[in-house]
Amino acid sequence: MEAQKVDMFIMMNSKFFEGHHLSQIRERLLAMDESKWGILQTLQFKDPTTILIVSILAGSLGVDRFLIGDTGLGVGKLLTCGGLGIWYIVDWFLIMDATREKNLAKLQMVLY
Amino acid sequence: MSRNKLYILLAIACLVGYSWLFFNYRSGAETDPDGPGVCLIKEVTHIPCPSCGSTRSAISLLHGNMTDALYWNPIGFLLGIILVVVPLWLLFDVVLKKDTFFRFYKKSETTLEQKKVAVPLIILVLANWIWNIFKAL
Repeated sequence: MEAQKVDMFIMMNSKFFEGHHLSQIRERLLAMDESKWGILQTLQFKDPTTILIVSILAGSLGVDRFLIGDTGLGVGKLLTCGGLGIWYIVDWFLIMDATREKNLAKLQMVLY
Repeated sequence: MSRNKLYILLAIACLVGYSWLFFNYRSGAETDPDGPGVCLIKEVTHIPCPSCGSTRSAISLLHGNMTDALYWNPIGFLLGIILVVVPLWLLFDVVLKKDTFFRFYKKSETTLEQKKVAVPLIILVLANWIWNIFKAL
């Protein structure tokens, strides 16, 4: 794919991925076929900051985990009062990276 | 999430669950509902959360009081079943080097994400929450 398009994609979506993955994503996109550009444009990523706000407000109900697609962990959090309140607080620090991991997994579905 | 990560997480969760139950069993939390709690929603807003009372429910189960367990919180039954089944299943998988539980977990995740399954469950949890608020746990 054209370097200009790839750089535009990276610029617009860099906040959805972890920094150390960006160079790898760029290389993959450059090697990708032009025909997938349309699908790439329609991908919706979860914003880590939004999920962090949800995690602070409704984390002990597991809503943050449900939103990023970790249904199993969400149920676990809901049934245990946010893991006795400990997991609830731990997740404030983990949820942003977890969201970025999920975004990468979503992108990989298109890339491969 | 990988198989090993899930198994370690669940093993720690079960361990914490059993220690929490043991701690509460010893201190008699069943008879003292106003003791120190860990539920942040209840501590901050004085409104119980959907799973408040499940410790008391599980301890009632240990005493064999089925009706008390049901009154405190039906989620206690679910947690009790999970606490018994999951460690055994994990042990089975780890000893025989299989991933039957991991596949079950992945499958139930996709099942739970279907609307026809998710909506009734959400309604059940909400109904339980409203009941909890009325009981003023």
